[in-house]
Amino acid sequence: MSSKIVKELPKLVDAQIISPETAKAIEHYYRNSPDTKSNSLLTIFGVLGAILIGLGIILIFAHNWDDFPKTAKVILAFLPLVICQFFIGYTLVKQKSTVWKEVTGTFLFFAIGATIALISQIYNIPGNLGSFLLTWILLSVPVLYILNSNSLALLHLIFATYYGVEAGYGKSDYPWLYLFLIVLFLPHYYQLCKQHPKGNITSVFHWLLPFSITIMLGAFFSGTSRLGFLIYISLFGLFFNIGKLSFFEEQRFIKNGYLILGVLGTSILSIILSSKWFWLEFYRSNHSNTSDLVLLLSLQLTTLILIVRYFQKNKKDIRQVNGFQVLFLVFNLIFLLGMTNNLIGMILTNIVVLLMGALLIKNGSQQSDFTILNYGLVVIAVLIICRFFDTNISFVIRGLLFIAVGVGFFYANYILLQKTKNNRS
Amino acid sequence: MKTKQLLLLFGIVALIQLAIPASMIWDNQQTIEKGTAYKFKTAPVDPNNPFVGKYIALQYTLESFPSKDSTWESGDPVYIYLTKDPNGFAAIKKAVKSKDKNSTDDFVVAKVNYAFDGNVHFLFPFNTYYMEESKAYDAEVAYREQVRDTISYPTYALVHVKDGNAVLSDVIIKNIPIKEYVRKK
Repeated sequence: MSSKIVKELPKLVDAQIISPETAKAIEHYYRNSPDTKSNSLLTIFGVLGAILIGLGIILIFAHNWDDFPKTAKVILAFLPLVICQFFIGYTLVKQKSTVWKEVTGTFLFFAIGATIALISQIYNIPGNLGSFLLTWILLSVPVLYILNSNSLALLHLIFATYYGVEAGYGKSDYPWLYLFLIVLFLPHYYQLCKQHPKGNITSVFHWLLPFSITIMLGAFFSGTSRLGFLIYISLFGLFFNIGKLSFFEEQRFIKNGYLILGVLGTSILSIILSSKWFWLEFYRSNHSNTSDLVLLLSLQLTTLILIVRYFQKNKKDIRQVNGFQVLFLVFNLIFLLGMTNNLIGMILTNIVVLLMGALLIKNGSQQSDFTILNYGLVVIAVLIICRFFDTNISFVIRGLLFIAVGVGFFYANYILLQKTKNNRS
Repeated sequence: MKTKQLLLLFGIVALIQLAIPASMIWDNQQTIEKGTAYKFKTAPVDPNNPFVGKYIALQYTLESFPSKDSTWESGDPVYIYLTKDPNGFAAIKKAVKSKDKNSTDDFVVAKVNYAFDGNVHFLFPFNTYYMEESKAYDAEVAYREQVRDTISYPTYALVHVKDGNAVLSDVIIKNIPIKEYVRKK
């Protein structure tokens, strides 16, 4: 629709219905404003269709049609690529709409994959998936920026993660090129945050980028590192603090992937760290090296800078700090104390998780927020369920604890409900 | 950016996108046409690559060579210089750490697996042979059955070598290509 209006503009200017300035303003508006709802639906389904067709073509090629002569196979390998390139050229010349750009871009992405897959098949190039994915991604990155395509950015991020997992886990080298691929994605992300800060697609990336980093961080330290859990807790601390930046705090809660992943990650890891297994088996038997320490410190330093800036910018008192913002520092201390005595580490972690749950419940009831309140209750409940399995407390006490937590759930929610009712009336 | 510039940029990108797969073809085709063909005897081993298809994984009897060097590290490149034995099968002349500029012999670059007992063990880069999906399993079975017969009908891989590039073009069982062997069965 918008491209049709833009096309009509020169006629309207010629007929002196609108001034050239107005025409420019209208064009600028349509080029930069998000498309209408129907258009974005069309884009989503168009891209989904293109992904399915693209993958379908790759799978049909993967059947390996060995009755075909080599020349026919080579022509077949280039056919989808050339067709897609032609359509992208057409899209650029005719200045087609976003839907066209997204769909042709997606097709081209899979056409590139199909071409190199078929050539690998013809010449029996060994099945190293990592280098195959890398060639594929690098060949399609420029199109991401030429078309300014969100679907290509999405595919780039997903395939970069796929590459990272292939090249990083179970291998002796760190997958540095994964970081390079992420850097290649960042200008697009920055542009999106600037131009469409509240856009849906922007918030998809607010989720996907931290998620990808969460998956890949483990490939950057040794699998048996005793610091591994602390490195991950620091990462989630960093995510939480990124989510606290004013840009993200202005977003709707559900769109703030950094904040939610930070909270979930920190709580899940804290509960794992409160177990007997971690302190008496894992922590005792593993060691760490200098590069793990460097990674840990650089993550924590970045987080500390963010925290300092947060307090300076918002002119807040340091006492107003949110527990999740600095929890990684508390764990630093616990890990150090745990080195002297594992049992101390275990007990302190349990206290921290219990406090975390209690604070969440307190905040939830103060802010009259059912989500926070119940999240706090869930944390405490999970902690108790976990201790149910790895401690030798008598059955009666365990039973009483469960009843207490259950009653707590009812009571806390009931009190909060009463409070909100009173506030309303 | 203006449309013209954008189009020019895309033209360049499109050419690169075509050139890289084309260069893959060129290098390998040159090796097949102009390189020397070696017969590598295979030794007993339904993998699949999600994007490229099913293949049979090959191992070779030639995957180790005596070496006094004790500094081999797993994953290091090892330059394998080739010759042919009296029966016409590939044999190793020497295995060295870096390219020998004075040698005119064909070589391939393998990856060190491990070094043990005065031998360096390595893996050749041509260990994948893609097959049509319905035949890949039968081929793997036939290959395993026949591969034990190393005297009367040795199973071997036909590998073309040129300037360090190696292209596996066929796997031969009982003197016939594996594709036909599976079809006849």
